[in-house]
Amino acid sequence: MIFDKPDSVELLDAVNHFLNEKIKDEVPPHLAFKLRIVENVLNIVSREITLGEKLSNEVIKDLRELIEKDTANIKDLALLIKEEKLDLQNEDLKDLLVKLSKNKISIDNPNYSTFKKLID
Amino acid sequence: MSQELGSLLSKKLESESINGEIINLEPLTGGASKEIWKFEVKLKDKSEKYILRRGSGIEGPLAIKTSDEAQIQKTVRKLGALVPEIISVSSLSEPLGDSYIMRFVEGETIARKILRDSEYKNALQNLAFECGESIAKIHQTDIAELSFLPKKTVKEQLNDLYETYTLFNQASPVFEYTYLWLKKQNFGEIDDALVHGDFRLGNIIVSQDGLQSIIDWELAHVGNPLQDLGWICGNSWRFGNTDKVVGGFGDLKDLLDGYNSISEYQVDQETVRAWQVFGTFRWGVICLIQASAHLNGTINSVEKAAIGRRVSETEIDIVDLLFLGGR
Repeated sequence: MIFDKPDSVELLDAVNHFLNEKIKDEVPPHLAFKLRIVENVLNIVSREITLGEKLSNEVIKDLRELIEKDTANIKDLALLIKEEKLDLQNEDLKDLLVKLSKNKISIDNPNYSTFKKLID
Repeated sequence: MSQELGSLLSKKLESESINGEIINLEPLTGGASKEIWKFEVKLKDKSEKYILRRGSGIEGPLAIKTSDEAQIQKTVRKLGALVPEIISVSSLSEPLGDSYIMRFVEGETIARKILRDSEYKNALQNLAFECGESIAKIHQTDIAELSFLPKKTVKEQLNDLYETYTLFNQASPVFEYTYLWLKKQNFGEIDDALVHGDFRLGNIIVSQDGLQSIIDWELAHVGNPLQDLGWICGNSWRFGNTDKVVGGFGDLKDLLDGYNSISEYQVDQETVRAWQVFGTFRWGVICLIQASAHLNGTINSVEKAAIGRRVSETEIDIVDLLFLGGR
């Protein structure tokens, strides 16, 4: 990257800090609720920049092993399930769907109760 | 904005013979798709509290008109079910728009407060049973009076959800799997009835004495009513209290005991489980619908944008229920 510091994650962190420390207590209740959503969105973006590629590649690697095709993506997997070309009782398929779901939620909302329960 | 709204409210209430100054008009945190305002009318020797519920006038793929919600509340209220009294209804062509005014009911709707604050601790003990009773009463409504409501079989609803999901062109292997699984389930052989469609914390008013009122009827329809029992058991509506299956506060047995104490049709846990997966899939598709309103440029809303990234919550819930022994 040719860009100077702070990097994108550090910039997002600064914005989040500003919202939390300076703005949060100044806004009326109905906007405080929306402000929390804004903070959540910034955190999603930050996690996706940091971990997104790794978590995505993990799933794609397993997916390509399962269906033995080295260009396959999520769309292909969805189609194979839809057309029942995969055995729906296959444990490797179930494991893959679990991993896909875990990796997605760990970016979108790692505090989500079901995810926390499953990684404990 | 609120001054203009105040004078519209004042005129509308005059037509119902309620004459007084509108005071303390304030917006409440409502659902993502409706405006909700709380206000008081100053009468000679007292003031009375009311709620205005106002839609955009645009019907969603699942949501009904706001003025139709009012009609349902009137009908359900006659049966003795707990709903706020409707004071006045306005159609889209009137100055106030597609909306209605109802009497304010004391209590709390915010789920996290109800689950956390000590003042509701006693009320929570019996709430699952009370919800079961209330849901059963709603299901006894005479649907002949509600002929304007959409009527759908389970199969039609399931196909609608699946079709809606495919419209957004965002492949979900988990949703594909779920759709195939749901097609093979038994959802209970029960007569069509009024379905609330969104019965959960957030849409009920709870006080220290327990359940006070059932609000937010925008997803109401006619069909297999057991959907309401599975919906409130979805993890999305447990607000972090994952081990309390019913709404984050109660046990499934208590909900069903309440339901079966009123309903002729006796429901078992296995049927509710199928509906729980159905409900989780349904919430996932609703998240897609909400996010699409932002994505296709209908409105620019950070709330709606953010909800697109909640689809993954429903996917993890579904794989937990189907593969990992989740309840």
